[in-house]
Amino acid sequence: MRLRAALLMLALPALGAAQTRIISTQPDSVSLTIYRDFFALITETRTVDLPAEAVTLEFDGVVDTLIPQSAVIAETGRTVEEGNYDFDRLSTANLLRKSIGRKVTLTRTNRATGKASQVEATLISANDGGVIFNTGAGAEALKCSGLPEKMTFEQIPADLKLKPALSIHLAAGTPGKRQVRVSYIAQGFGWAADYVARVDADANRMNLQGWLTLRNFTSARFESAQVQVVAGRLNLLDVAGRGSSTLGDSSNILNEESLAYARSEKLDELQSSTDLSNFVADYFYGCYPYGPAVFPGARDKLPMLMRVDSITSEDIGEDLAEVIVSGFRAPLAERENLADYQMYRIPWKTALGARQTKQVAFLHQPDVTIERFYGIRMAPDAEADMDGDISQLAVHVGWKNTRAYGLGEPLPGGIVRVFDRNGDGSVFAGEDSIEDTPVGVPSELSIGQSPDVAVLLNSPSDDAKATLWSLLTRRVYLPIDLSISNAKSRPVLVEIRQGSMAHDRDLHVSRATLRPGRKAGDYAWRFTVPAHGEQRLSYKVGVRLDREDD
Amino acid sequence: MRHGVWAVIGLFSGVVLAADSGEDRELSLTIYNKNLALVEHVRPLKLAAGQQRVEFAGVSAQIVPETVSFSAANVELIEQNFDYDLLTPAKLMEKAIGGKVRLVHTNPATGAETSEIAEVLSTVGGTVLRIGSRIEVLRDDSLPTRVIFDKVPDNLRARPTLSVLVNVAQPVDQDVRLTYLSHGLSWNADYVAVFDEPKNALSMQGWITLSNESGTTFTNARAQLVAGDLHVTGSDSAMDDVGFGSARRTAGKDSGSAPPLADYYVYPIRQLTTIANQQNKQVSFLESANVKATKGYEISFSDFASRDDPQSAQVRVRFANSKDGGLGEQLPAGVVRVYARDSRGQPQFIGEDRIGHTSAGSELALRIGDAFDVTVTPTLTQTNKINRRTTDYQMSYLVRNAKPSPIVLTLRQDELWRVNSVSAESIKGRRTDADSFAWDVPVAANGESTLTFTLRQGW
Repeated sequence: MRLRAALLMLALPALGAAQTRIISTQPDSVSLTIYRDFFALITETRTVDLPAEAVTLEFDGVVDTLIPQSAVIAETGRTVEEGNYDFDRLSTANLLRKSIGRKVTLTRTNRATGKASQVEATLISANDGGVIFNTGAGAEALKCSGLPEKMTFEQIPADLKLKPALSIHLAAGTPGKRQVRVSYIAQGFGWAADYVARVDADANRMNLQGWLTLRNFTSARFESAQVQVVAGRLNLLDVAGRGSSTLGDSSNILNEESLAYARSEKLDELQSSTDLSNFVADYFYGCYPYGPAVFPGARDKLPMLMRVDSITSEDIGEDLAEVIVSGFRAPLAERENLADYQMYRIPWKTALGARQTKQVAFLHQPDVTIERFYGIRMAPDAEADMDGDISQLAVHVGWKNTRAYGLGEPLPGGIVRVFDRNGDGSVFAGEDSIEDTPVGVPSELSIGQSPDVAVLLNSPSDDAKATLWSLLTRRVYLPIDLSISNAKSRPVLVEIRQGSMAHDRDLHVSRATLRPGRKAGDYAWRFTVPAHGEQRLSYKVGVRLDREDD
Repeated sequence: MRHGVWAVIGLFSGVVLAADSGEDRELSLTIYNKNLALVEHVRPLKLAAGQQRVEFAGVSAQIVPETVSFSAANVELIEQNFDYDLLTPAKLMEKAIGGKVRLVHTNPATGAETSEIAEVLSTVGGTVLRIGSRIEVLRDDSLPTRVIFDKVPDNLRARPTLSVLVNVAQPVDQDVRLTYLSHGLSWNADYVAVFDEPKNALSMQGWITLSNESGTTFTNARAQLVAGDLHVTGSDSAMDDVGFGSARRTAGKDSGSAPPLADYYVYPIRQLTTIANQQNKQVSFLESANVKATKGYEISFSDFASRDDPQSAQVRVRFANSKDGGLGEQLPAGVVRVYARDSRGQPQFIGEDRIGHTSAGSELALRIGDAFDVTVTPTLTQTNKINRRTTDYQMSYLVRNAKPSPIVLTLRQDELWRVNSVSAESIKGRRTDADSFAWDVPVAANGESTLTFTLRQGW
């Protein structure tokens, strides 16, 4: 079997023979492709000078949130015998655990006199239950006496790494300089699309600008990186199942709403987390029981360690708030098709700092034809509650994504903030989100309620009794009588939609006073209401009587 | 060589004559997919005559103790012990009940130390002590008080410890064999596939990733990997409890030429390898530069409803795991990460999917993601209730293609009821199984197509 043969050839290097070790300290160039679901593909080019013999090549300075099994090392010109990723890191817990049996120095400071006394001790246990050491006098537990105690270690255990290390073993081959490509997926990056729409309502025109908001939640700094973002929904697997996403399997995220929710939850989590919090939680704190009365007070003293060179959340909050906006006149990010997605490339090399947010423009369409209209969707289950009520209509801004309408560009999903032109300035008129929108697909924003355009529903509900006709057709007919008023000093376009109930998708409209159209399965009426005017609309909507339908 | 830790513990034990086994002369690992490995150590053991305890240092920290088997000629095994009563401050105090400890009080004003002997009475809720004739709760006054224990009980361990109690008639100096199952070791296959759409080709690379989270470094081990889903009983979160039973064998003797284990595939790694604790090790096992592959668009609807927002079509890459197709290997289960080259020729990640253990000859369809530019807007144009059990649904699907090339979308209407039939279809469809139909809808570049049909379903 060919596979078996391939495996037999997995030439793991003979152990014992000390291999030449070459450390590549930093990449020559870095490309960062950021995806929406909080990871990035990092591609590094590194120049290495290889000797003729077999060699271990270690890559320093890789982003430490990397997913080890995603690492690919290419263009080595030699057989890669094995790749290793060591993540036995130096942490307080590991330092203690690996120092069992070793000599440590215990320093106790006398609170009254300030005098420090030191004693040699041997660490005999360190686990989740606490730390025990032995001095010549006997065994004692660390941080259980109420005295300030500090443990000093002679050295770091040799097998603990200061940072995770990615390395490969290469077979012998031609010596010389080579450019090696190292690529891997790393967690803790993200991007979003944000739109600014400046609307001129009188002219039905919109100036649409799109911004890429790039986020780096990691502690890695990129001085001069080629940055791309990918728009579209990739099929992803959960990190626990060896995939790349911290949002879970894509197949479990049923729709756009739950995806948007999962993304915003993750964003909040990443923005509020600090790298160091995990580090401190690793320390062992256990004690034997002592006086219950002192317990709370003693606990308060324990977090002293936390204050040692830790960054406070306030520091990080400020750092994140410092959003760097590239100049407005900067060239736009360039779009290209990547497989079935859209990719935007920042055409210059850019710096992305640790825990930084950066914005770059990707779209500017100054003259898009829009339609501003006021709408409401009626549904049989809602109508009973609305009887006699006045409802404000929602303000909609709609457009068709074609060149003829001044657009015709793919629009990655994001938030559109609408500003109305108001004299020389502009006012914020509301916001809505759009999904990924390809060319040719219409968009409709719902940006708020209008106080000036309202509908009064006037339908005597007791008129909806079952008649002989409704028994025959197994339907009841609800009479709907609407009057739409416009308090504005200009005419407005109004859209009334009549939908069906979720569990009764059968929809029948009859005796309408205006001729209806259809929209996404609904009946829809569109008409203009004159300035300071009113328009009436009445019809009957049939609702099925039986419930065992479908 | 005596391990440092045991040397220290030894200071406190000393009741039973204790011996340590030596370093591994041979170490074999049989690693399964499911966070499980069979470990076999062969170690030299030098024992004097008599009854004694032998401790095994350097065994996996995630050993499954009930699976341990110890075999040595001329050594009578009396009992096997796995001590996991961990040495913690709380346990230390608990074990001191009835015994004496020394208290050292520090005067907070002067810093002066005073010392006294106390008897530990209880550790429930707090530590109750008898000092001379008084009864006190330890540190009830919040004042600093050190507690010094004369000795650490023998049966408390810094780490879980495996030991055997043996009886030896005459002094021995020989190799002994210790085998057990351990958690914390696993392997997975990971694949990297670069999809070249114009050439309809995939370039596939497969890697075995060994990961060691057992807490122990395995040095110079003879390793073999077993692919296949082993039945492991009593799944309890990540820590599967193991009843391994009949599939167990004496592993590691001839791993290079061993036949496949029952119904599983065995992949031996011929050279000795060291797997460090907290290490991921990758070794290549597959490289196929030219696997025939095609891309397809598909979408499924399992209801009849109108939607305002268009739904994106799914992209799948299909390939056959066959010799003809350029592959034809037994592929262990794993995650396939798919890449495509951008306009500068750089591979960019475009999606990932999982494959199961795949024998040669199978067809595979990887789910890549949703197409940005291919969307479907469904509209339920009419429903007609035929009778109490049967309804006609008239559907209209608007398919838009914003790509500069024509596509064919496979649209599926599935999860139908028992009685179902299609009429008035605008494109000839096909029944795909008892409860689904499919249509292949061609759409021109930058174009639109509409599929309409009436589907009658009932029960």
